[in-house]
Amino acid sequence: MTDVFNAIILLSNFVIVPGLTYGSQLALGALGITLVYGILRFANFAHGDLMAFGTMVAVLITWWLQSMGVSFGPLPTALLALPVAIAVTIAMALFTDKAVYKFYRKKRSAPAVFVIASIGVMFVLNGIVRFIIGPNDQRFSDGERFIIKARAFKQITGLNEGLAIKVSQGLTIGITFLLVGAPFWFLQRTRTGKAMRAYSDNEDLALLSGIDPERVVMVTWIIAAALATIAGTLYGLDKSFKPFTYFQLLLPLFAAAIVGGIGNPLGAILGGFVVAFSEVGITYAYKKFLGYLVPESWEPDGLLQFLSTDYKFAVSFIILVLVLLIRPTGILKGRVI
Amino acid sequence: MKKLLLASTLLAAMTGSAMAAGDEVKIGVLLGYTGPIESLTPDMAASAELAFKEASDSGLLLGGKRIVPVRADSTCVDSAAATAAAERLISSEGIAAIMGADCSGVTGAVANNVAVPNGVIMISPSATSPGLSSIKDNGFFFRTSPSDARQGQVLADVLKSRGIREVAVTYTNNDYGKGLADSFGSAFKVGGGKISITAAHEDGKADYSAEVGALSAAGSKYLAVFGYLDQGGKGIIQASLDSGAFENFVLADGMIGDSLIQAIGKDLTGAVGTIAGARSKGASTYEAMAAKAGIKKDGPYVGESYDAGALIALAMQAAGSANRAAIQSKIMMVANAPGEKIMPGEIAKGLKILSSGGDIDYVGATNVEFNEIGEVLGTFKEVEVKGGKFETIKIH
Amino acid sequence: MSNAQRSALAFAIMAGLLMVVGFSQSWPLMLTILNLCLISSLMALGVNIQWGYAGLFNVGTMGFAALGGVAAVLVSKGPVPEAWAAGGWNLFMAALLFVLTGAAAIVAYRPIPKGPLRVLALSGIIIIGIFAIRYFSDPAIADIEAVNPTVTGYLGGLGLPILFSWAAGGLFAAGAAWIIGKITLGLRSDYLAIATLGISEIIIALLKNEDWLTRGVKNVAGLPRPVPFEVDLQKSEKFIGWTEWLNSNALEGLTASERGDLLSALVIQHSGIFVKLGYAGLFTVVLVAVLSLSVMALNSPWGRMMRAIRDNEVSAAAMGKDVTGRRLQVFIIGSAVVGIAGAMLTTLDGQLTPGSYNPLRFTFLIWVMVIVGGSGNNLGSVLGGFLIWFIWIEAEPVGVWLIDFATGWMDETSPIRIHLMGSAQHMRLFMMGLVLLLVMRFNPGGILPEVTKARTQKEIDRD
Repeated sequence: MTDVFNAIILLSNFVIVPGLTYGSQLALGALGITLVYGILRFANFAHGDLMAFGTMVAVLITWWLQSMGVSFGPLPTALLALPVAIAVTIAMALFTDKAVYKFYRKKRSAPAVFVIASIGVMFVLNGIVRFIIGPNDQRFSDGERFIIKARAFKQITGLNEGLAIKVSQGLTIGITFLLVGAPFWFLQRTRTGKAMRAYSDNEDLALLSGIDPERVVMVTWIIAAALATIAGTLYGLDKSFKPFTYFQLLLPLFAAAIVGGIGNPLGAILGGFVVAFSEVGITYAYKKFLGYLVPESWEPDGLLQFLSTDYKFAVSFIILVLVLLIRPTGILKGRVI
Repeated sequence: MKKLLLASTLLAAMTGSAMAAGDEVKIGVLLGYTGPIESLTPDMAASAELAFKEASDSGLLLGGKRIVPVRADSTCVDSAAATAAAERLISSEGIAAIMGADCSGVTGAVANNVAVPNGVIMISPSATSPGLSSIKDNGFFFRTSPSDARQGQVLADVLKSRGIREVAVTYTNNDYGKGLADSFGSAFKVGGGKISITAAHEDGKADYSAEVGALSAAGSKYLAVFGYLDQGGKGIIQASLDSGAFENFVLADGMIGDSLIQAIGKDLTGAVGTIAGARSKGASTYEAMAAKAGIKKDGPYVGESYDAGALIALAMQAAGSANRAAIQSKIMMVANAPGEKIMPGEIAKGLKILSSGGDIDYVGATNVEFNEIGEVLGTFKEVEVKGGKFETIKIH
Repeated sequence: MSNAQRSALAFAIMAGLLMVVGFSQSWPLMLTILNLCLISSLMALGVNIQWGYAGLFNVGTMGFAALGGVAAVLVSKGPVPEAWAAGGWNLFMAALLFVLTGAAAIVAYRPIPKGPLRVLALSGIIIIGIFAIRYFSDPAIADIEAVNPTVTGYLGGLGLPILFSWAAGGLFAAGAAWIIGKITLGLRSDYLAIATLGISEIIIALLKNEDWLTRGVKNVAGLPRPVPFEVDLQKSEKFIGWTEWLNSNALEGLTASERGDLLSALVIQHSGIFVKLGYAGLFTVVLVAVLSLSVMALNSPWGRMMRAIRDNEVSAAAMGKDVTGRRLQVFIIGSAVVGIAGAMLTTLDGQLTPGSYNPLRFTFLIWVMVIVGGSGNNLGSVLGGFLIWFIWIEAEPVGVWLIDFATGWMDETSPIRIHLMGSAQHMRLFMMGLVLLLVMRFNPGGILPEVTKARTQKEIDRD
């Protein structure tokens, strides 16, 4: 029986907890992408760099707070900085909309034109972030690091395997689950949310029924920017903040959004977890796990690894391509515009 | 039109041979200020520029000339952009030598396509790919960081002498990491060692839990990390400790530096590793100098960068001019024995000896000694984390 | 201004910019930039064939360019007999099994009716096939990679002149495009974009990790050249004599030692220029050939049909045009052009570095070229290739100069000035984005917009 527990804990420690954390981080980012896609109808390539921008603001404010001696007890100070960072990022998002996207919206340009404009915004944000904070790795986490440590877990339970959960992991998973419901509730229940859905379904009809399109667009950007800042900051707390990494996140984020069904908020969350768990699960070596479950003589010689970690980043794209081929609307049916 | 073209090429050619005119000498600092290693390069550049400043401030260089460093972006990955940047340094800025480039890929491209054809020396502080040993460089390419082939052997010996028979290996997926993993793997297996799993990791990517999971499942007690201390390598160690996957680490040179201990904390105690250089006075002198100049003193390749810069300045002095070919002819002389040993911070002393016709043997921060193809032989020190810092155990 | 005048003026300005570099910086630098401009133009042309002619949003340029690079290695490098001896037999068996698996899947496909049974049978065949292939390929790969890994550790190539690889690069990319197109061209435009982006990442992952074929991240250096090496020229009596003759005016009346110094400096410089001009000539031939073919194609009935499909797919299909078939065709042609350019780039670099392919440089930058130059207009994308590569390279020195100028009033040691000077290199991305956004905003069709008989200037302005 202990062996079964050991096996479960082993899998939790190396597959389930990391998968949940990484999945949550992807889910929050993908939520922003999917929202912009669903309502403004284009794939926003600048989202990764918007996340980097938001996180940069949070890092700067955190440093200022830390220098003032403010702390948040066991929790990271960055959480206190978050509201201001969100406000600044929202201002940035609204500014890019006014300066760039609004023009094409008026002209009713093709989605591809928006995508290319977002590539331009991506380049500019990329430059701005490096200009202000530089390209380096920045650490800004403080407070307690662990909810439970692997060694402590072993002592308490007497098991062979330990389970570690970091504060940042707990925060990420917790906040994601809190926020999962929010956009859904907002879109289904509030007046503005309903207006947004109407606008997304049929722009002309929405205009006829007196919905103010600029307001819908504004609210969309506000939510997207807020999500980007939260996702970016949580990600930075869990790992560390480095502008280049955020650009690299863009591709897994898109994979998550599309796999789940782009334009569908629940899909983005599901997609995030699918991508994260497949990356972790497919490249995990199951030798030790099975070692606990099967009799010794059955124990396999190989590592029982489906795919070497070299191909970890290809996994999300392979899933993406498969989903696009078999079910182009994603796992949960996304909005097809 | 043809005449105009001719006139201006002539002009450029003239400046190419007589750049030392005026009281300034330009030297190119070609590193990847943007791209994957953009977080390492500012310190490397600052370190080389520290050596240039030391030479200039002494007032002894070529009778009081100043070195003006000209930075150019190698991007680390884009050979085409790096080639153009090097071309700009050589033909437009009129630099006398290049300190760089950084990543092995662009370094090879710049050496083959720009530096060697134009007869300009390059001293790379960080290109460690064994493949660069065999390029046709006509004696114009040097590197102050040893080739990975040697370190793999040394590291394998260190582990064997400590009785470590089985390790899991993770390497950063580039020519440095892969080359080192290959050379370490073959050396370790020869003596009966076992590598339970070899897994690559990509720098600057999102998440390393999958790699750590796979590595730990292979069941080894020791994890060898061949990466960079502020990149994926750090992420792997952090994730291994957080999840309790590994507690014992084996580190290659890219991972060794106090900032790693600062970032990880006391959990790193007991980690062993190898890093180029001897337990020399030079290394500690350099560290004090770097700290004063506000440079991360233990960052990867900063000592090598300082040495590359110092060698260029000294060779120039030995040549008695900023002529490119003349500098090339003197590098070996100033870098190798015989001669008065020159430590970091003693560039002025070296310049003085050279100007009076003496011979020097530059030792520098990393114990520079070139072999016949312009590569450092590579003495490595075995280090161990004790009491919050890397302590040198033995020289190999 | 007529369209021809506009193009002529734009190219004249571009030529002027390059001249400015030649005079104010140096001619070798100008030629280095020019060579990359030519290659970039060819890549942009390939993207334009897909996007401008047929509205295909292919964001996988990087993958096709990388395949071209692989072709350069596989064609030009000599074979490694030890590696073939070590793993050739097992590799042959693996390849044979690969073909057999494919054949079995095709044979089984027809007779079994559509449904779960077919899925099951096909999955079974494929899974058994994979195990059988890996039984032979795993030891083959291990044996090949163990052959002197620091220098070889791969199978090598055919040892043919590298110029053949340009055609081979086109074929590789075309082959990949056929497979990719077959599975993805049914997707809507932005899905196609993300699918191709993903596939190009998969191609790069293969290149980086299949060491037995490409040496992976260890790079393949020292590719042969289609032009002489500078160092050989510098030793050649003939070349020295030629340099002497060319500069006889300047060399006159100097003392022997001055003459010797100047001559050796001139020989070094002329050898560099000679080699670069050689490359420029080869690249120009390819670019002009591809450009004239595409202009001809665009003005042919085929081109009109393509544009009809792009502008109104439904009515084109209603008129009996094979929309999917034509799209596949144009996807393959465009990708092949990118593949040729990729092989040319690897030839110019003299090495293949799989780790260096990243979407920012090899996909997004090419797209900026097409959009800024003018999508749908072949000359436009050529111009875009020139202009954007020019900015990409010159942004760095200009950025340093601008910041120096803007902060000149500050103290040399002012932290703000030092910080800004230190970040000058990041001006590159910033400026690139700004150029793209400004051109899209104020000149939406690009610098040289598409003009056809059916589209008046008025329509273009409206877009």
